[in-house]
Amino acid sequence: MSQPLLVGAVAYTPNVVSIWEGMRDYFAETPTEMDFVLFSNYGRQVDALLDGIIDLAWNTNLAWVRTVAQTDGDCRALAMRDTDTVFKTVFVTRAGSNLDGLEALRGRRLALGSKDSAQAAILPVHFLDHSGPGADVVELIRTDSDLGKHGDTGRSELDALRAVLDERADAAAIGINTWEAIGRAELMPGAFEACWESPTYSHCNFTVLPRVPQERTEPWVERLLAMDWDNPEHRPILEMEGLRQWVQPNLDGYGTLFDAVREQGIPPRW
Amino acid sequence: MVSPGLVLDLVERVGALARHGTISVPLGESDPEQASATVAAWCAHTGNQLVEVQGNVATVRKGRPLDPLGELRPDLVPGTRLWMYTNFDCNLACDYCCVRSSPQSARRALGVDRVRQLATEAVEAGVSELILTGGEPFLLPDIDEVVAACTAVLPTTLLTNGMLFRGRRLAALRRMDATRLALQISLDSATPDLHDQHRGHGSWGRAVAGIRLAQAEGFRVRVAATLPYEQNHQLGPFHTFLDSLGVAPEDQVIRALAHRGVADEGIELTLESLIPEVTVTAEGIYWHPVAADHDDQFVTENIFPLRDAIEEVRRRFTELRANATAAAQWFPCA
Repeated sequence: MSQPLLVGAVAYTPNVVSIWEGMRDYFAETPTEMDFVLFSNYGRQVDALLDGIIDLAWNTNLAWVRTVAQTDGDCRALAMRDTDTVFKTVFVTRAGSNLDGLEALRGRRLALGSKDSAQAAILPVHFLDHSGPGADVVELIRTDSDLGKHGDTGRSELDALRAVLDERADAAAIGINTWEAIGRAELMPGAFEACWESPTYSHCNFTVLPRVPQERTEPWVERLLAMDWDNPEHRPILEMEGLRQWVQPNLDGYGTLFDAVREQGIPPRW
Repeated sequence: MVSPGLVLDLVERVGALARHGTISVPLGESDPEQASATVAAWCAHTGNQLVEVQGNVATVRKGRPLDPLGELRPDLVPGTRLWMYTNFDCNLACDYCCVRSSPQSARRALGVDRVRQLATEAVEAGVSELILTGGEPFLLPDIDEVVAACTAVLPTTLLTNGMLFRGRRLAALRRMDATRLALQISLDSATPDLHDQHRGHGSWGRAVAGIRLAQAEGFRVRVAATLPYEQNHQLGPFHTFLDSLGVAPEDQVIRALAHRGVADEGIELTLESLIPEVTVTAEGIYWHPVAADHDDQFVTENIFPLRDAIEEVRRRFTELRANATAAAQWFPCA
């Protein structure tokens, strides 16, 4: 039997250990066993992927863009969560602020998340430039917490929301996952409302380089996609990882972030 | 009005926990009732568990509630087997009896009517096996009726010391349905010494005779030995003897002596360390047959409806195990 596929992931919370142990168990005693290595940040993980230390990387959208940049596109995305195909950025304001749409943010203060967060910093600037009044006419308040984790902890987005509550900002740009986690506008009536939601884009994926042959990755992906929400043994893993179904990657969904990275001059590695 | 910062704190602090980790979150200056409702709603929305609200602090556990019942082997789920103490009086006074039975004990019989109702409700509650014990059940003049009420609906096991199979009691035994009833007869050793030391002079010989008689009458016979924990590894001669009696290997049951009842020593068995086996006595429902005479394992005096009693045992077990698991996660050693 071949060696287990070695998957890299970033340890953004202790819960990550449970997630990947669950994944490892799911693949155990199959022809496509896997193990995992945890990294403290996506920069190190992408380096390890390029250096052949790991076979696959569970990458954010920014880590994917950077892997593509550093390999001249010689890499593949194997699969993603269903939730990764419909990710959005939500611009949130205080309820009753009467700010509606990106144009309403002209001259206002917008709290962003960590500068390496696609959903809470890079893409919001892109959306202001392409669908709003332009980032240069909005006062951007940056909260760079948990750098290196590409916004995975969500902490910077919560800090951005706190800035809105404390009236240090008029709006905050956050990921749809954080908007869901706070219960949208329903759990705290009178606190927040969405003033604009972006088009959907792609978020994380499993990234692999050509060094790992398809005959090793294909059976692994096949088993991954077979994970079943209705199976009580599979469900805890899916719940922890925030999906109902693993799906084939939607590469078109990365176009906006490629454009944003290029336009904002974001370097290929942090 | 609830401070919106409360939900932001929940997202951040619970998000940073490991699965099933627990954290206490101050409710702040918000109205406690509204704040509790908000935390409960957030937990429901995000798939986490509100453990409790005490004073101005909410305790939240990450992830869905633990399911200790789901982690048990199906045959160990409480309520799969139902134990009934038919009576507590006994012709013996074993020096380790876990429920203090002896000739001087009050009978405290369940009675055939209650046993019949229990057996009927047991079927409805999903019980798959009934177990009758005492005391010595063959002291009851209507033991055959008690057994018949059980074997009519479910496979049944009757625990006995096997010493009373004579006269009307033998006749009662012969009226029992050997196709639906197994007898579990107590025998502690391959020779009389150890057995008689604990159970009384001559008791070994009569028990062995009882085993042979029950087998001859067509009953499946299990033999159960009660031994100090430190002797449980020296069983070769005992099993050889039971083999010679024709007792099947799977019917040779070894139980560790429990520090319960009149036993001076033995393993300590507590609510926390025992997987419950729902047990009915004349006084009510107990956690486990080994402690059916002890207040610490008394569950409820309400025997009926049996389904509710089983549900209460399961609820307590779930709560105990979930809290124990959470406590273990509060105190990692490394």
